[in-house]
Amino acid sequence: MPLVRIAFILVLSLAAIFESHAADGGRPNIVFLLADDLGYTDIAPYGSEINTPALAQLAETGVKFTNYHTAANCAPARAMLLTGVSSHLAGVPNIPEMLAPEQAMQDNYQGVLGDNVVTIATLLEGAGYHTYLAGKWHLGSAPNKLPSRRGFERTVALMDSGADNWEQRPYLPIYDDANWFADGERFELPEDFYSSQFLIDKTIEFIDDNLDDGKPFFAYVPFQAVHIPVQAPQEYIDRYMGRYDEGWQKLREERVAKAVSLGIFSPDVEMTTMSTTADWDALDAERQRFESKRMAVYAGMVESMDTHIGRLVTYLKEKGQFENTIFVFTSDNGAEGSGAQDMSSFAAQRTLTSMGYRSDYESLGLKGSFNSINPGFTSAAVGPLSYYKFYAGEGGLRVPLIIAGEPLGEVVPRTTAFAWATDIAATILSMAGVEPVGARHAGKPVLPMTGKDLMPVINGAQERIYGDEETIGYELTGQGVLFQGDYKLVRNQPPLGDGQWRLFNIVSDPGEINDLKASMPERFGAMMDAYDQFAIDNRVQELPEGYDQRRQIVINLLRERMGPTLIVAFLLLLVLAPFVVYIKTRH
Amino acid sequence: MGAFGRRILTAILFLPAILFTVMGLRWLVDPAGIAPDLGLTLETGLGLSSQIGDLAAFFLVAGISLLIALVTKQRSWFYPTAMLLGFAALGRALAWVAHDAALAPHILFEVIVALLILAGAKFLPESSN
Repeated sequence: MPLVRIAFILVLSLAAIFESHAADGGRPNIVFLLADDLGYTDIAPYGSEINTPALAQLAETGVKFTNYHTAANCAPARAMLLTGVSSHLAGVPNIPEMLAPEQAMQDNYQGVLGDNVVTIATLLEGAGYHTYLAGKWHLGSAPNKLPSRRGFERTVALMDSGADNWEQRPYLPIYDDANWFADGERFELPEDFYSSQFLIDKTIEFIDDNLDDGKPFFAYVPFQAVHIPVQAPQEYIDRYMGRYDEGWQKLREERVAKAVSLGIFSPDVEMTTMSTTADWDALDAERQRFESKRMAVYAGMVESMDTHIGRLVTYLKEKGQFENTIFVFTSDNGAEGSGAQDMSSFAAQRTLTSMGYRSDYESLGLKGSFNSINPGFTSAAVGPLSYYKFYAGEGGLRVPLIIAGEPLGEVVPRTTAFAWATDIAATILSMAGVEPVGARHAGKPVLPMTGKDLMPVINGAQERIYGDEETIGYELTGQGVLFQGDYKLVRNQPPLGDGQWRLFNIVSDPGEINDLKASMPERFGAMMDAYDQFAIDNRVQELPEGYDQRRQIVINLLRERMGPTLIVAFLLLLVLAPFVVYIKTRH
Repeated sequence: MGAFGRRILTAILFLPAILFTVMGLRWLVDPAGIAPDLGLTLETGLGLSSQIGDLAAFFLVAGISLLIALVTKQRSWFYPTAMLLGFAALGRALAWVAHDAALAPHILFEVIVALLILAGAKFLPESSN
């Protein structure tokens, strides 16, 4: 009898041990990889010629979203991705660098993550996850806004909209420095810094530090690639030298054809030529050579990012973590189209030299060199889509989304279901088995998550997440959007847009060529009403009279730079005035 | 010291007087802008309050005392600034020797200016009032 009892107790103990391990193993690790300004067709699974084997492998085993949309610029997208709440309600309707003073007077227009929202990192940390961030944060640099105060246990984070990829230096004159923080303290980058390599090194370091405690991790890796300055190691640039010598029109045709062959677009997809796309054949040979290299550096930067993603995957395999890890890869917004048309122009050179950068052909993309791509190549980067980053056209909003990993089980290879940036937060929580935040958190009222769990379309249980009548609104500096079913109401503002509302079917017409406003007046009217309601519900502010985003950046720069100087000068005059009066009266 | 030398010394001493006053005002108006100039990272809470309050006071007293001395020709007003700079230099030296701090190049500036101020206290004319 005692032997039977001992055996019984032993079996029960072993069962308990196995059950406990199963419970830990049941919670997957989650790696959230976020590219910066990556265009819709910039990676191989979406039609690119750029070699991205790591992402191709993830796309091969996971699900590829072809109708995923995000914000038109970075911080609003990041706010939605990390909170599942609309950018306007989360306090980040725009980046602070572009806000007009009239807008900044409203509490939800501060351009930094509000205290009324909870990040998924906070929720995951509360649920027992290790939470790591290595990369661009750009959601506030005040002490209480740092990522280390918003749920991330270990961080190395860039506070600004971007920075140099080779060293700690700002990329725009609006910044005094490249503001990096690690675990809440200012941080100096190492001498051998290259952004993509460094961010994956740090991610691996964070994961490795806690690997043995059995807790799952959430690693958020917002890359600097491929935000300006576009820079890449020489070996990666070399692989694309000469590849773009036939120009942007040719590249766009190639990418669209490849995307069509992959089933992403129908063969009859129409596309418009943006006014910023110059005639390649009209450029002289020297300009063509230079423009081709600008794009080669961009391609090298994308491939380099992919290489380091592959390095992370290899590390996880070596550590036996890969099978229990889900990968989410996407971009914060569409490709950047504000690169100079001619980098040798006086204005472009003046800006670069004022920042201490050079832009000679030989060292383009290397340390000390500033690079961007010509808007002509940006059009190729977004395939058949129109417009770019900062605009509400599909080129600004539609980006790749790949979700992969064995813990997902059986997945559909590709989905055309509409998905929105806020859905990423809800989906990551669903993968982790963590409840989304409700109306209160940590003893205070917060905004509930509005994003939806995409798991039903990932595993094929549903074809769509959003019903035909459901609407998703979005606004950025007067660019307006309302999605409903297959339709999109859109307004693009000058200089590339005309400020007019249009209606498109973005499933049959992703290039936004055929305006349906006249042929579908009832739908147009109903969607306009829905947009107005979105604007009220989300406290969208009208743009100040004469607002221009580029001019506003310059004004904010001058105000930020000159404001304190003028105040100090005024106060100095006040201090000196009594001395002047004294001298005058003495004489 | 001749009249020309006194004039030169007065002109030279006006420069640090204005510089210190501007630095004090910058601590009040734009602490984030001036903190890196002194190798400082801005603190939060009480630390920030101490940084702004104490450093603004240091530089404003240094600057305005020197201005008063130069304008009113009352030489006793040279001494607060000289003492502030002297003690700052002494503190930096001690920090280097005893507390493992970097030897800041600012120490040279502080010593030179303090000596110039003491020269002013000795050689510049005292007001008859």
